[in-house]
Amino acid sequence: MEPAIRVEKLSVWYGRTPALDGVSLEIPRHQIFGIIGPAKSGKTTFLKCLNRTIDFVPGARVSGQVIIGGQDVFRMRDVFALRRRIGMVFPLPVGLPLSVYENVAYAPRRAGLSDRQALDQLVETCLRQAMLWDEVKDRLDMLGTRLSGGQQQRLTLARALSHRPEILCLDEFSIAIDPVTTMKIEDILRELKQHTTIVLVTNLVHQARRLADRTAFFHAGRLVEVDETEKLFTAPAQRLTQRYVNGEFG
Amino acid sequence: MPNDNREKASARQIGAGWLGPRLDRLWDAIERPVEWLVRLCGYSAILFVLAIFVFVFLEAAPVLPKLDWYEFFTSIQWRPTSQVRVQYGILALVVGTLSVTGLAMALAVPLGLGAAVYLSEFCSGRLKEVLKVVIELLAAVPSVVWGFIGYMVVGPVLMETTSAEIGVNLLNGGILLALMSVPIIVSVGEDALKAVPDAYREAALALGASRWEMVHRVLFPAARNGLLAAVLLGVGRAIGETMAVLMATGHAIRIPQSLVDPIRTLTATIAAELGEAVERGEHYRVLFVIGLVLFGVTFAVNLLADLVVKGIGGEQGN
Amino acid sequence: MGSPEERYRIETSVVPPSHPGPGDWPYTSLRAALEALGRHAAAVQWTSGQDVYFDIVRQPPAPGKQPRRRPVHRFFVHLQAHGEGGDGSETSPWWGVRAAVAGLVELAELGEIELAPGRRLRLRHVEMFSASSLERAKRIKEVVAQAVLLAMTLMLVLPLAGVVGYLVVRAWPALSWDFVWQNPQDYMTAGGVWAPLVGTFFLVLGSLAVAAPIGVLAGIYLNEYAPDNWWTRLINLAVMNLAGVPSIVHALFGVGAFVFALGMGKSLLAASCTVAVMTLPVIITSTREALASVPMAFREACWNLGATRWQTIRTIVLPNSISGILTGVILQVSRAAGETAPILFTGAVFFVPVADHGLASLIPYGPGDRFMALSMHLFTLATQVRGVPESTQYGTAVVLIALVLAVNSLSIGLRMYFRTRKRW
Repeated sequence: MEPAIRVEKLSVWYGRTPALDGVSLEIPRHQIFGIIGPAKSGKTTFLKCLNRTIDFVPGARVSGQVIIGGQDVFRMRDVFALRRRIGMVFPLPVGLPLSVYENVAYAPRRAGLSDRQALDQLVETCLRQAMLWDEVKDRLDMLGTRLSGGQQQRLTLARALSHRPEILCLDEFSIAIDPVTTMKIEDILRELKQHTTIVLVTNLVHQARRLADRTAFFHAGRLVEVDETEKLFTAPAQRLTQRYVNGEFG
Repeated sequence: MPNDNREKASARQIGAGWLGPRLDRLWDAIERPVEWLVRLCGYSAILFVLAIFVFVFLEAAPVLPKLDWYEFFTSIQWRPTSQVRVQYGILALVVGTLSVTGLAMALAVPLGLGAAVYLSEFCSGRLKEVLKVVIELLAAVPSVVWGFIGYMVVGPVLMETTSAEIGVNLLNGGILLALMSVPIIVSVGEDALKAVPDAYREAALALGASRWEMVHRVLFPAARNGLLAAVLLGVGRAIGETMAVLMATGHAIRIPQSLVDPIRTLTATIAAELGEAVERGEHYRVLFVIGLVLFGVTFAVNLLADLVVKGIGGEQGN
Repeated sequence: MGSPEERYRIETSVVPPSHPGPGDWPYTSLRAALEALGRHAAAVQWTSGQDVYFDIVRQPPAPGKQPRRRPVHRFFVHLQAHGEGGDGSETSPWWGVRAAVAGLVELAELGEIELAPGRRLRLRHVEMFSASSLERAKRIKEVVAQAVLLAMTLMLVLPLAGVVGYLVVRAWPALSWDFVWQNPQDYMTAGGVWAPLVGTFFLVLGSLAVAAPIGVLAGIYLNEYAPDNWWTRLINLAVMNLAGVPSIVHALFGVGAFVFALGMGKSLLAASCTVAVMTLPVIITSTREALASVPMAFREACWNLGATRWQTIRTIVLPNSISGILTGVILQVSRAAGETAPILFTGAVFFVPVADHGLASLIPYGPGDRFMALSMHLFTLATQVRGVPESTQYGTAVVLIALVLAVNSLSIGLRMYFRTRKRW
């Protein structure tokens, strides 16, 4: 089956500093694909290339290809449609200063959906999927920024799901939330992978081991190794990988 | 009933799209023209600055080649309406501007920086908010009201208390300009002090310094650039002031011999004489030349302030 | 030495007394107790931070009667410092236990320590930095500095209060609602300020109608769209310099550009445009600040959801910064109302005949007409017209300053109100 994402020789420079250096890999469909590596290894930059939010970074230069659905994203004309095919969850929970309902309805509205019934249904579905529905169903008009950190992160997840993405990316989603919420979200991810491809960037090596089917190890902008998760952790081909998963650095 | 809840929730939505889907589509449709308009307005600032220079230049242009530049800058004889010999020397006016600005700064800089330090380091909470509001309101007083005060109140007081022969003079103008420049010195100065990281303060206090020592040994050097910029902006404000000096410094076009001599500034000269001069005549155009001089000077001062803030032309306060 | 009624004991916080039992009063004189104290204290392990005290208590008079045993003399030992000893009083310690005991003995012999029955003498080890003369000087400097700076700040408060107060007091005879509603009469030696007031109103309206849209849009460009290059730096420089141009140069520009080049002649329109250019840079700057106060995280979240820049701006950024933009614009209202120089030669005049009643008195000027303005009116009354009663002059000043301060206070008030309604 055609992989969800195929990356070929992707390189990124911020001014003169290289952030990614010739990364090539394939992300298979309907799996959780983990990306691990120490700080400044290019993981976040990689994600930004997937949905072309790298465009917003001043001074960033890109070469190489990211092929999604047979098309190179850097040649796509409608970049906004691309961003709706990819959901993104960030490290710091962000609730938009709108009501909870409008937070989740934001992306569909921008895409042109205005039918009240359809929106209601979509909002409820996404909030249920993000395991937030029960907590907010009576307070849909509450400001998103007034939710707790863990709730805001689930709200971000609900927003990311609201445009029914085929690919969901999470960038160190658990660093600013409590362990209970983290576990909830990890369960959600295991559910979601049946019909969504998930790219999980994480600093927590054991989180990748728990969740990911395949894992890639990035270091200083280069792809060091990519393999089935268990194999990467128990019998990696590179010494560097071995040292990282053993916690010797990073 | 669940639908009712959601209707209510939707009706009370904050933000996106609640004005209705048709309006939403309209907002989206005008995206292109709006972005174009936004860009245009952004560029307009340059347009206006250039336009100011160009139009003042155009009105001044015919007289530029005919002007005796040496006399212009070095002579104190300003006799544009003389029947005998017309002279355009602005030296006395320049000295007038510089002296009243200098006096104003001598009063405003210590006062302004002192207040900035007090607000930033020794003051907090309610009192600080009140004082900042007061200073903002002080800045809001129109210059014509200051001129009025100078003319009607400060003048007679000066005549009583000093050896002044006439109430409208250098000192009068200096006091008014000081009061007008202080708010900007305080506000920019306070910003400069606020920008110094707390780590500097804590380090100094941990070493046993009192708060005052911390201020003048650590904060001033660290915030030097910003404080200097604050002073420069105050200078720019004072140089450019028109109405207050027009009404309160008198009409004597000569170099002041004492603090209570009347003087005339460049700005006041233009304001006082433009209405009387023959439209687009020689005198008229020379006043525009003075306008160019003023434009150049304030441009330079503001440029200097900007460079100072960025740390060029002086060491970084580290 | 010592009488039979005089008995003492030592109590300490650290070392258990060598003589247990509350009934023990082993020492027959103060001096004996002090000497024993010396030996005690020398044996104690002084540890930093630990509060150690030695009390010498004189036996209370009768077994049943136990008066309150407060320490009547307090001395303390400061072990850390070197140098000569003090007198051990609470402000000047002894440095060292031996010095302390020797000093106490001396004090006892001089009769400076007297213990009534039941009272105690406390010798205490306290860790402290004594107020040396250097430090005391520092503290004085600090207090003085704070006082001076406060005085400086107050010197700014007083002029404002003084100015407003004085103006009102001198204007009092002339101030009335009629003063506001009536037109100037008798060559402005009588009557009110209605025509100038209306003129100022239209001037402000006109200038803001031009400056506000351009300024807000320019602010949006600079904060939301402008790339980080030399062209943007140039624009920022231009805004800054535009803000610094003297008001009289704005007047010259107005004459050259609007009155002559664009053919508006001396008119309300020309003056409005001139004032608009003057207020433009401040509107741009305050709009930028209002937009910048919206956290970047919100924008990034929207972009990742597939929203365009403009969609993000109109749905999230603008609604949450409109309050800041509004207060910035209102602030410029007061500036436009107060400025005189830019309108002196571009359309404001001393006197224009204006109807006293009816619609014409509400809208007395068309865009092409010369007009009266409050700021110019004040200038004229004070310096050009003879025979104007002082109260009228002061009254005009009061109306102008009241207008300006009212608008400013409104802006400040709105700012505070919006701060409480922050959505994040």
